[in-house]
Amino acid sequence: MSLTSLTFLEFCILALIIYFIVPKKIRWIVLLASSVTFLFWNNLSVYTVIQAIIVLLSAYIFGILIDKYHDTRKSKVFCVLGILIIIAQLIYLKYTNLFLVTANHIFNLFNININFGMVTRNSLLGISYYSLIMISYLIDVYRGTCKPQKNILKCALFMSYFPILTSGPFVRYENMEKDLYEGHKLKYDSLCKGLVRILWGVFKILVISQRCGYFVDTVYGDLGTYNGCFTIVAVILYTIQLYTNFSGSIDIIMGISEIIGINLPENFKAPFFSKTITEFWRNWHITLGSWLRDYIFYPLQKSNFIQKLNKKCKNIFGKKFGKKIPLYLSMFIMWTLIGIWHGGAYTFIIASGILQFIYIVLEDLLGPASEKINKKIGINTEAFSYKLYQALRTFLLFSFAMIFFRATSIGNGIQIIKSIFVYNPWVLTDNTTLFTAGLDLYDFRVLIISIIVLFIVDGLSRSGSVREKLFKQNIVFRWTIIYMLIFAILIFGCYGVGYDPAAFIYRQF
Amino acid sequence: MKRLIKVTIFFIILIILFHYTSQILLGVNSSIVQFYDESSNSLDIIYIGASNAYKHFNTLLAYEKYGYTTGMLSSPTQPFPATKYLIKEAEKNQKPKLYIIDIARCVLDFHNTDLDLARATTDTMKFSKNRIDTINKILSYSDVNKREYINYYFNFFLYHNNWKNISEDNYKKNINLYKGYFISEDTVKTEIQEPLEWKKECTSLRKENREVLIDLINYIKEKNINVLFVVPRRFFIETENEMLNDAISIIEENQMKVINFNEVEELDINLENDFCDGYHLNTYGSTKYTLYFAKYLKENYDLPDHSNDPSYSSWNDEYERFKEYYKFLTGRDFNELLEN
Repeated sequence: MSLTSLTFLEFCILALIIYFIVPKKIRWIVLLASSVTFLFWNNLSVYTVIQAIIVLLSAYIFGILIDKYHDTRKSKVFCVLGILIIIAQLIYLKYTNLFLVTANHIFNLFNININFGMVTRNSLLGISYYSLIMISYLIDVYRGTCKPQKNILKCALFMSYFPILTSGPFVRYENMEKDLYEGHKLKYDSLCKGLVRILWGVFKILVISQRCGYFVDTVYGDLGTYNGCFTIVAVILYTIQLYTNFSGSIDIIMGISEIIGINLPENFKAPFFSKTITEFWRNWHITLGSWLRDYIFYPLQKSNFIQKLNKKCKNIFGKKFGKKIPLYLSMFIMWTLIGIWHGGAYTFIIASGILQFIYIVLEDLLGPASEKINKKIGINTEAFSYKLYQALRTFLLFSFAMIFFRATSIGNGIQIIKSIFVYNPWVLTDNTTLFTAGLDLYDFRVLIISIIVLFIVDGLSRSGSVREKLFKQNIVFRWTIIYMLIFAILIFGCYGVGYDPAAFIYRQF
Repeated sequence: MKRLIKVTIFFIILIILFHYTSQILLGVNSSIVQFYDESSNSLDIIYIGASNAYKHFNTLLAYEKYGYTTGMLSSPTQPFPATKYLIKEAEKNQKPKLYIIDIARCVLDFHNTDLDLARATTDTMKFSKNRIDTINKILSYSDVNKREYINYYFNFFLYHNNWKNISEDNYKKNINLYKGYFISEDTVKTEIQEPLEWKKECTSLRKENREVLIDLINYIKEKNINVLFVVPRRFFIETENEMLNDAISIIEENQMKVINFNEVEELDINLENDFCDGYHLNTYGSTKYTLYFAKYLKENYDLPDHSNDPSYSSWNDEYERFKEYYKFLTGRDFNELLEN
């Protein structure tokens, strides 16, 4: 069920009406029923029900056991056991092919004549999200950050809360516990602000993301015809497509939750204004980053192995460089896991894992030298132009990595990079050629204006919520902006006859 | 209370803007759009049918000759099942003395309706329950999934893509229609051979066609409205001709009047000069048809003469506009055509 489809709209309206009609005490049951319906929409089978039950029972039973044997060795065993079951299922359902491909490569390397065929697994929607959410739940119970949920149905609601199933954000039980089970009253302000946020999300997806997609699909689908400047534009537009699709979906999800009265953590904070890749990842898919930091990176850093390695490295390489090696190792593991989480293919591991790791290490290593050079040659690093250069550099580095995110294989990714170097700058200036790749002149105009609006809104959001600012304005201005948003979607949105509801890029994760 | 008023005003403005934007984006031109512009209870006759209605009967010429007004609820390839709903639409703010219903398309297989063209009817109707009912009726014969009906209910789902083609014409209504009448070219382009003979043989209508026709007749009886059915003078393939004979007998069995213009000998319309394609009359043919039929209507029905009524001045203005456009199109004066 696409977030911009009519079915989803009807589903949400119905769920919200029932939610606000029933007595407060049982409103969470409506959310549970909606979530279960959403989870199994078009994918109800014994197989998928078992998948969900495995995760739910692992988290529920081991959560209670961890709490019961708190501060004993048993609690650690139960925690590890619960996590292992969830991870085992996740790997089986999502990453079997990754292992098979790896095995095939290894056998090939040693000239062993074994070749595994790929397998198809029918996994539930949002499995990567709810698996990680339930893992963090077990760890939080183990750490004593929260108490386990004794009601299995309430536990099921935490696992399957429908707005976050398609694209997150990652939530923590301690933050959700109160909001999720408390029956909320419909508030006028929340309704208005929630609806505006939903509209903004729909605008991003239907007006920008879908439009970028037409160009990107055309170019990447025929690199023989479309190369050089076509590829450069496609690389840039794909990054914007990805961002608007993902953050637009998050806006829709946040808007729905806001109407219900449940606060979710922000997942994006104007990432394209970031000056470095490190900063970029603090503003992009924030909740995934913080999840991995809290549940992978910090525990790794505190682990005996890394601590011992730290000592050894300091002895061998000195204090300054010695401490960086274990740090980079922890980072490498974390970034590889981010890559793996994005999909069971090497392209994802390279795009959102290894390349990001390389960028961050290079920033860390070259940062001091770069500062020295800037000082020596007298570059004003506080000037707008320098900040713009930094933001552009970050954007382009990220866009480059996303070539592999979009590529069907590593070979295809290299092919895309090669096609960038075909010399055809006239494509951008002859006023016709560029408009043969899925978007005509009119579409490009709409796209450019929409992207400018997107950047203005993102820029404004850095100094506080844009909606708060909008709702402080006088009614005429406020309504004009809202009407403009509605009609921009209605007129320029890619929907209706001839269009498919916007496919959500991140839902596959 | 204050919030309720605010929300109400917000949605009223939204609906107005939506309606206006839809009008601009709507790429379909039909007489139905113009029909809505007529003042309440200002039409004496309402003519319902497909292209044989708006291309054959010159409403302005009928007004010029006899002073009564005719409104067209007519659009290209208008599906016959829409007829009952169009009468309902007309009844909302008109009380005509007579409805003329063209039955040429009542013999076609409703399952083969060209739904893209059928949108010319439904898309130009104002948004209402009746419009939804019309769409449901037309689509009930198609294999369109009910989930997709929404694409027909809301024009925007199709026409929002017209934003790239918006020109001055989008802001003007029906520049090529004159009180519902469409001027066809004078040139004769037809491969159909004379003579246009009407066969007397009869073949039963399909079950569904019969049901729709009887339902329409029952509705007319129930509402006690005055209706004249017509079969336009044009070429019909043999089976259509035979099924039309069945339709005529069904109507006559119900004590209603039908004029089959293919059997009206006084009407001197021939393929050689009066058709633009064998199925539609050109201006020569439509002028002959209108002069004959308008006189018949005046003589047989109690129709008023508004020619001296200043509140009907738009009809005189439109007649002048029509003559100017005719001259622009053909290089000839329309009065000359009348004299000949």
